[in-house]
Amino acid sequence: MAIAGVHLTRIGKGDFLFEPLSSMNIQDQDRLILELVEHLQQGQGRRLYYDLNTLPVIDPVYYGWLDSLARTCQTLNVKMICINMQPTAAFTLSQFLAGRPVFETALGIPD
Amino acid sequence: MVQKKDSSEKLAALFTLKIGNISGQLEEPGREFFCADNKLMDEDEVADLSSEFVTLITGLLGSKDPHKRTSPQFHALETFFSGLSQRILMRGGNVEEVVRYAQQLQYTLISALERDSGIAFTQSRSVLLYFAQHFDALIMAIFRTYLVERENTLKAQEEELRETSTPIAEIWDGVLTLPIIGTLDSSRTMLVMEALLNRISKDHARAVVMDLTGVKNIDSQVSHHLIQMVRAVQLMGADAIITGIHPEIARALVSLNIDLTGVTTRASLSDGLKEAFLRMGIHVSQKTN
Repeated sequence: MAIAGVHLTRIGKGDFLFEPLSSMNIQDQDRLILELVEHLQQGQGRRLYYDLNTLPVIDPVYYGWLDSLARTCQTLNVKMICINMQPTAAFTLSQFLAGRPVFETALGIPD
Repeated sequence: MVQKKDSSEKLAALFTLKIGNISGQLEEPGREFFCADNKLMDEDEVADLSSEFVTLITGLLGSKDPHKRTSPQFHALETFFSGLSQRILMRGGNVEEVVRYAQQLQYTLISALERDSGIAFTQSRSVLLYFAQHFDALIMAIFRTYLVERENTLKAQEEELRETSTPIAEIWDGVLTLPIIGTLDSSRTMLVMEALLNRISKDHARAVVMDLTGVKNIDSQVSHHLIQMVRAVQLMGADAIITGIHPEIARALVSLNIDLTGVTTRASLSDGLKEAFLRMGIHVSQKTN
């Protein structure tokens, strides 16, 4: 599915896999969220798996983007689950995160 | 250049000297420092050592510029002493023995050259100064090697300590246990966190049981690190269960206003494992006949 800077794949009934590419620009998050919402609504999305495999560090700016996306998904009754978080990313995120994030986390896509 | 102008005739004679067989005379310091009670070397090894040293010092004295401490000949001598220092340290000797050997070797060398050539080198200030400067630089090489070796040993010990202080075990497929024993300080908590997160990633662990039965004290900073560790484990998608919290630690956590929302705690390691198995849908039961 065509969203600039993102690989969005339907992986099951209502399940989508979101793979950010290095060209994804989170400064342009309004456009990204708008296009994603369209795809999720058209595909009757229930769960969005956000793959963090290629991200070594999550800083407050990137966390802000994840938080916005997760909150938008919540309003659409879509559960956002971050998968494959790297140890370094988990470490940096835990340094500034006070409570639990809006999104869920999992080791990978459940079998 | 100034040094060259000041060189006495005896120093000039030293550089043109055809060194005879002084190797035998130079064995004495080696025997004294390495063959005595400490038995760091045998007689044959000391003989080889002296012979090698004579070859190298002959090379330096006969080189184009014997004063130059950047010449390949001097570098070869430095390497010789570094290697010797390394060998002695590995055999349980200490740096003092190598340094004292080098100093003794210097005095013996000057006397041996004097006896061999018939020139009164011990009466020449410039000859003594020449050797003193060169041997000082060689002793520095010995110390450098000693420091590198010591640093390597400390690194290896630190690594060993790191491994033993984080005994993470996969007790079941996808279930890790981490018994923490002793005092938890910030640096150790960081080490544990690093090891644990990497292990979760490697083993795809779904639950981690952290047992604090062996932890007697905890301070504000460490308790924050501990909660951070739990959060990081959860962020990776695994469940974190803390077990064996002592009453004193429970009191400390409460008085420090540590937010334990979303943190699963159980009284004992066994209860923690039961909880982990339950969450993973594993049922462990006693076999009945």
